[in-house]
Amino acid sequence: MNSLAQLLQGSLQGYILVALLLFVIGLATVLTRRSVLVQFMGVELMLNAANVALLAFARHWGGDVQATVFYLFIIAVAACEAAVGLALVVGLFRHRQTTDSDRADALKL
Amino acid sequence: MFLIFALITLFGALALNFQRNLVVAGLCLVLTFLGVSGLFLLLGNPVAAALQVIVYSGAIVVLVLFVIMLLNAHEEERPAFAHPIQRWGSILVALVLAAGAIRVALASKFLATASSPALAGPMNLERVGIELFNNHLVAFEAVGLLLLAAMVGAVALVKRDL
Repeated sequence: MNSLAQLLQGSLQGYILVALLLFVIGLATVLTRRSVLVQFMGVELMLNAANVALLAFARHWGGDVQATVFYLFIIAVAACEAAVGLALVVGLFRHRQTTDSDRADALKL
Repeated sequence: MFLIFALITLFGALALNFQRNLVVAGLCLVLTFLGVSGLFLLLGNPVAAALQVIVYSGAIVVLVLFVIMLLNAHEEERPAFAHPIQRWGSILVALVLAAGAIRVALASKFLATASSPALAGPMNLERVGIELFNNHLVAFEAVGLLLLAAMVGAVALVKRDL
């Protein structure tokens, strides 16, 4: 089968497939795990899936340089998000002595 | 090569999902990010691959592991109460989404026929820099400001008595 060989060697289809599956695995991690740290890792996975799709489309559709600049901005925002998110986790742990999202279900103690 | 990096990426992500030990889960995250950076290399984009390794597997994962060890949260806590409906519901949603994604990606005519334009050599920092500082200078400065704001915000959130 010709298209299958192309898929395995990295056609656009292959990259988009990997990106979609990565996104779904990240979503499953956020939904099924309870530790907020692991949920945070799942969010990072979803963000990376979007990056893979962006750069794959840029390579196969044109606009390579713009996509790389865009990727630079995405990475900067992701770094901000990581810093603030982890600070929130540390703050949550200070107040509740837990990183379990089930045990932190109220805004006020 | 594509197959190897794709399998590394997906294996790392799946291992992260099933890993109980949080530190090992963080290392699975590194594996995933390295696989993704390999995919970027295969796309002819070494700039993005280098950024991926430096920022994600370098900075962000180190930050996550640092917080895990700081909070001494190596193991996931016992569940406070079981909620089977949410659990199986979310597994079902994920499976349906995965099946739909595979179907859509394989059936799409656009994806199958998209031809790759001729590559003007691999991406290099010179082209990125020219594009960045000619057309996106304001956004670049705004991102610098955003990073500063995030840094101040993180310190303010963690500091005990401000």
